[in-house]
Amino acid sequence: MLPSLEELSAWLPDLLSGLSISLQVTALSLLIGIPFGLLLALGVLAKSRLTKIVALFLVEVGRGAPALVLLQFIYFGLPTTGLTLGSFTAAVIALAWNTGAYTSEIIRASLQSIPHGQREAAVAIGLNRLDALRYVLLPQGLRVALPALLAFSILIFQGTSLCFTIALPELVSRAYEIGSNTFRYFPALLAAGVLYASISIPAALLVSHVEKRAGSYAQR
Amino acid sequence: MTEDDALAAKGAPSEKGQARKPLIKLDKLSKHYGNHTVLDGIDLEVMPGEVLAIIGPSGSGKSTLLRCINYLEPPDGGHVTIGDISLNAAAPAGRSELSTLRRSVGMVFQSFNLFPHMTVLRNVSLAQERVLGRSRKNADERSMQLLSRVGLADKAEQFPGRCSGGQQQRIAIARALALDPDVMLFDEPTSALDPELGLEVLAVMRELAETGMTMIVVTHEMSFAENVSDTVMIMADGKIIEKGPSADVMRNPQQERTKRFLRAVHDR
Repeated sequence: MLPSLEELSAWLPDLLSGLSISLQVTALSLLIGIPFGLLLALGVLAKSRLTKIVALFLVEVGRGAPALVLLQFIYFGLPTTGLTLGSFTAAVIALAWNTGAYTSEIIRASLQSIPHGQREAAVAIGLNRLDALRYVLLPQGLRVALPALLAFSILIFQGTSLCFTIALPELVSRAYEIGSNTFRYFPALLAAGVLYASISIPAALLVSHVEKRAGSYAQR
Repeated sequence: MTEDDALAAKGAPSEKGQARKPLIKLDKLSKHYGNHTVLDGIDLEVMPGEVLAIIGPSGSGKSTLLRCINYLEPPDGGHVTIGDISLNAAAPAGRSELSTLRRSVGMVFQSFNLFPHMTVLRNVSLAQERVLGRSRKNADERSMQLLSRVGLADKAEQFPGRCSGGQQQRIAIARALALDPDVMLFDEPTSALDPELGLEVLAVMRELAETGMTMIVVTHEMSFAENVSDTVMIMADGKIIEKGPSADVMRNPQQERTKRFLRAVHDR
């Protein structure tokens, strides 16, 4: 059942390169997706009807469709319209969209949780809308959002495993590949699972640490 | 005794020999929420250096009036004039007009509304940098002066959460003064404070009044209305019931509604 040491040392380079791709997809999806989520949140809160509708559409599709469907749609569906993407690019686009849609709701709720008086005070001291957002509302809102954003980041990291369906050589597809070459599916997937956990569990501990600290300003 | 005489008697700055122009002028200012009339055609003039206390029962429109003056809530009828800026509530206000208006009006809130994620110093400096375009160094210098003035220079590097309510409100006053406004609005500045902490805020406000700052203060502090303000105005149901020199209104009210309100306050 368990992989032997020889097997592990033979598989590890492949598995680690798969893990590296999983982490790259995660990092890029978050790097693109969270700022996108911020824009979507502002779009949903915007006064302009058109902005609001476009933002709501992107959010609802991004949240409504399972990540697997978004992946397949972008990788297999878009080429029929003439747009062909590599599996890495397709994976990042799909997961960034997914991230943007979910984090926009996290960020929107966090911004709305800030007491109304904060915005009023910002307006009363003459700040324009952008400055009020930049100096007063976002720093407080993002602090509230941080634990939830980090928790979501762990989900996206695990979600990269779906990318094996579009032939991205990430961690799960590497484990499958090893399995199909050696018929040692269970040990290979077990090794992959341990690698996922080695990232996810420390990250979850970090989240709960951040959660305890968030919200208290008078630390310094 | 007319209002002007009262001002002169108190030593408020006045330019003798020439007709003094009000700093703030409201014409038929009105505000509705749906069918509910919150402000019902308010006409009001406030002279430079005048301290006006607005008192009256809850829901009378006092706070809304204050918030309409700096367009925190846009009025839906009438005119607001402050110094050289005049806004017609019937037309949508332009951004640059609003920005000029807010630059000349400082506001202090009941719940302080300091920015909890910034140090006290940053709270006071932020608008100087972003709105007045001062350098960080100049802004911080000015902020330290203002913090000293409210007796809190030693709190500059603290976060507001570490300060008492009275200290927070004094910081909020310094923050509002940082734009060198022509007029300061106070929306029940001591209502969220226990009496002792309220006193330190009132002391700062009294000092500010003595420097000749034009102030409009919505308050339930009758002693402030009687002893510090030049003029007292009673509001009920979105209307001005009575307005006059503070001593007259507080000791010898003419209107039945005013008498009833003051009696209720004194009987507490």
